[in-house]
Amino acid sequence: MQHFEGQVQLVLYPLALNPAANPASEVAAQAAWCAGEQGKFWDFHHMLYRRQELWNRLATPLERLSDFAKDLNIDATALKSCVESGRLQERMQADKAYGQQLQVSSTPTMFINDYRIVGTQSEGELVRLIRQELDRVQRPGQ
Amino acid sequence: MAKKSKARAQTLSPRQRSPQKALTSRRWRLKLVIGGAVLAVALGVGGLVRFLQQRDLAPRLQGTGDKHYTLGTAGAAVVIKEFSDYT
Repeated sequence: MQHFEGQVQLVLYPLALNPAANPASEVAAQAAWCAGEQGKFWDFHHMLYRRQELWNRLATPLERLSDFAKDLNIDATALKSCVESGRLQERMQADKAYGQQLQVSSTPTMFINDYRIVGTQSEGELVRLIRQELDRVQRPGQ
Repeated sequence: MAKKSKARAQTLSPRQRSPQKALTSRRWRLKLVIGGAVLAVALGVGGLVRFLQQRDLAPRLQGTGDKHYTLGTAGAAVVIKEFSDYT
């Protein structure tokens, strides 16, 4: 993002595509939303990836995630009760439905404006694709 | 019987054989034309489906979803929507 100050916006849709097979992903996404209520969404988001191996195979990762939340000065009790209440399920379902509308069937999937990219890309490749799209939209007559 | 057909084969003049050769080559040409047409139709249908999907997709991608967490500048020229799973 720092390459494109003022020219690019990233909108994140945390999905749990297959919660039956992988319940941890749904708990993590809900926990991220809940951390967001305490103004710590991005901190929590980065932590989830950084410490992924410590929680992603747990059947009930909430305890572990609450512990990690404390390291980020997040109120772990509030985070836990937020996830357990399931009140953000609706929001997650809405994102999932939106993903389905856009035919997102695997993650990560990105859209750079209307251009779809499926699968993990190197930073260099992403920069190239963003630059290409910027050139396209900034071309005179566009 | 075998003797008879052998005799018949022997009686075929080069002139009689070449129309058969021409017929075979015409059949091959016909197969190539049909194959090419089928391929062109398949590619056309594929392209049309992709075009319709993309045309359908573009309006759905409008708007950034104000309830979502974002980085960067609102109203930027390029909007990246990332759908990711934490596991």
